[in-house]
Amino acid sequence: MHIQDGVLSPVVCAATGAIALGAVSYSVHRLKQSVADRTIPLTGMMAALVFAGQMVNFPIGAPVSGHLLGGVLAAAVVGPWAGCVAMTLVLFVQWALFSDGGLFSLGANVLHMAVIGSWGGHAVRLFVQRFIGDSHKGIVIGSVIAAWASVMAAAALFCLEFRMSWPPSEIDFSKVFTLMVSFHSLIGLGEALITGIAISFVLNQRPELVADAASVRQADASCVGHGSAITSTLVAGLVFALAVAAFLSPFASSFDDGLESALSQMGIADFNLTGRVPGVLEGYEKVPVPIAAWQTFAVSIAGIGGTLAVFVLAWLLGKALPAATPNLNSEAAGE
Amino acid sequence: MTESTVTSESSAVRVERLSFRYPGGPDVLTDISFTIAPGEIIGLVGPSGAGKSTLLQHLNGLLPSQLPNFVGHVSNVPHVVIDNLPVARQTIAEVRRRVGFLFQDPDDQLFCPTVFEDVAFGPLNLGLSDDEARQRVRDSLASVGLAGYEPRSTLRLSLGERKRVCLAGVFACQPSVLALDEPFSSLDPRARRTLIGILKRFPGSQIIATHDLDVVVDLCHRVLLLDAGQLRAAGPTADILSNAALMERHGLEVPWRLRGEHTNG
Amino acid sequence: MCHRWPPLAKLFAAIAMILAATCVPIAHGPLVGIVACVIFFAHTLARIPLAYVARRLLFFWPPLFLMAISLPLSQAGQKGWLMFMTILVRGTLSFSTALWLVNVMPFDQLLATLRRLRVPDVLLAILSLMYRFLFVLWDELDRMRTARAARLFRKPSLWATWRSAAHLLGRLLIRALDRADRIHGAMLARGWDGRSRWIEQPREDRP
Repeated sequence: MHIQDGVLSPVVCAATGAIALGAVSYSVHRLKQSVADRTIPLTGMMAALVFAGQMVNFPIGAPVSGHLLGGVLAAAVVGPWAGCVAMTLVLFVQWALFSDGGLFSLGANVLHMAVIGSWGGHAVRLFVQRFIGDSHKGIVIGSVIAAWASVMAAAALFCLEFRMSWPPSEIDFSKVFTLMVSFHSLIGLGEALITGIAISFVLNQRPELVADAASVRQADASCVGHGSAITSTLVAGLVFALAVAAFLSPFASSFDDGLESALSQMGIADFNLTGRVPGVLEGYEKVPVPIAAWQTFAVSIAGIGGTLAVFVLAWLLGKALPAATPNLNSEAAGE
Repeated sequence: MTESTVTSESSAVRVERLSFRYPGGPDVLTDISFTIAPGEIIGLVGPSGAGKSTLLQHLNGLLPSQLPNFVGHVSNVPHVVIDNLPVARQTIAEVRRRVGFLFQDPDDQLFCPTVFEDVAFGPLNLGLSDDEARQRVRDSLASVGLAGYEPRSTLRLSLGERKRVCLAGVFACQPSVLALDEPFSSLDPRARRTLIGILKRFPGSQIIATHDLDVVVDLCHRVLLLDAGQLRAAGPTADILSNAALMERHGLEVPWRLRGEHTNG
Repeated sequence: MCHRWPPLAKLFAAIAMILAATCVPIAHGPLVGIVACVIFFAHTLARIPLAYVARRLLFFWPPLFLMAISLPLSQAGQKGWLMFMTILVRGTLSFSTALWLVNVMPFDQLLATLRRLRVPDVLLAILSLMYRFLFVLWDELDRMRTARAARLFRKPSLWATWRSAAHLLGRLLIRALDRADRIHGAMLARGWDGRSRWIEQPREDRP
């Protein structure tokens, strides 16, 4: 899921970088505020754990395997602020140690995996737990849904960033997005499954480790009053909206024209491809488009199938669902 | 079975009627009392799970009973006194400076990327100036035989070296008492011998929790035998460790070096 | 010889090269060539073996290729292929630069440099702890994996594999958090009060 340098345009990199910087700074600020002397070793260890945990392979087919992303898991154990900082450091070290990801796309990656993963995932989990309760079941179901929604939200954001990075005049982005959404739907399922099993395992063995997060929430609530409940609902809503947008993005080509003219007015759209197009490539002009026909079908499968699968998963992992679930279903799926 | 022959005035460590349990759990320590004289080296022996680590942690104020939000038994009597300083919330910083603690797993204690940073950690927290801290780092590394190791990465050291760096980090705080938790476990013979040499040169008191009874014979003046959270025996090393019946009763063995001297305890 | 450059210079050189690599318009062949030559030259200076770079690139290209190929696939025409090439070239060049930096700048040095750049202490303290225990956790993971493999007598189903991998993860998490507690104890034992303090290592001790 890492975005490498070169995929996004410099302007988009700068914009995502600025947003990510703001979000991480705020997390660090909150972290400092809450500073018990235990925060630093705990956050550092969590970051190391996510890093090492990403080395655990989850095989899919022969050469392909998935791995944990970790935002929701980190937030569940150390809280959203420390979780966001830990994930940011993971992404940074991956670049600095292995040149995974990129330097200028670090902002986008932090936004997708640290901010949406930890802040967003935490908010979604709390939101879901409001309906199901803070029991172990509630925590597991909340985490599963949060993991899936946060990946889909990141996918939507990535589609937007990708769309803004490249001049849209001749590219039909809906097809690109079809591919990406389908991919991310799979990644999201994997993340939901991994996070769900891992959290229920920890809840089984050492419940106090996850319960810590509940006390974090209580501390938060007592700190800022009822504001935090509203904020978490807002963030959860945003994540859900983005997740839904991921499935709508391939169909949003009519929206493209308006966005394009706005972008070109701001002088952003044509930033990248200045200069003459070399003649060698001219022969490819009329290559048929192989995935066009599949588009609607693929997105429907990814969207409806993915959503269904996540809820089945949540249900399985939570053993039996309480009555409040239909409520949730309409919120999260929203199709 | 406890004894406190040394007067409290001259004791480096005095433990009085110390009991401890984790909230909701069984007793880990029951009514422990003993003293350690300045310069004395005490061996703390007993089977695994006897409460040795827990007892050592009390000397350093590392357990929740000494932290502000602990809910459990609290009494006004100071249970642990270091250099006439009762371990309590107000004195915890000073106690931790005086008692150097060596953890069983050096990876728990070496938390900085380089040797220099790690050894400097304690002195800097004590508020020493930069130059004094650097001097301390140099001196304490020299005292464990690792002079010049400053720039090394803590990741690329052997287990013996890591233990010695940990010890340097402890020495850098200039403690008057050392509490060592299984310092010799999984060391090869040479690393073990080096460590013994370093400990012999340390001027303060020491309390060493270990399964390595041969080292206890070599190093310790007195022995405390702990089992199931209770102090079962205390006395001069040779007397306790050569008592075969006593040793057997608590899942221990008479060390080779003492066999033959007293065949039946 | 790049290894001996001042750390700050190395960092800024890398940033400048990545900036050039990600901004250069692909259609201007000569410009791309110049940037590529500079990066190649830097690699030669640092004596980074070509085979190593090639091997890393082999693992780097597939995901980038997948992302880039979606553009020409979804749109007939040369612009799609141009964008495809742009992504590949920019990605490759900036990845090579990052490889160069990783090779000439040990992580400890990067940490010290970040400190000089006034990155907040809290972040650096967490970062150095993370870096320190990364390898400890890796070893632990390795041992746990070996232990698991040693008890595996036949090929488990996919679901069983996922379950046991996630459990492995959970167990690693529990161990890590317990270790965090012990580290916290060790830090307290040496006077930690939540504030990180740091001094420069004496010059003559530097490697």
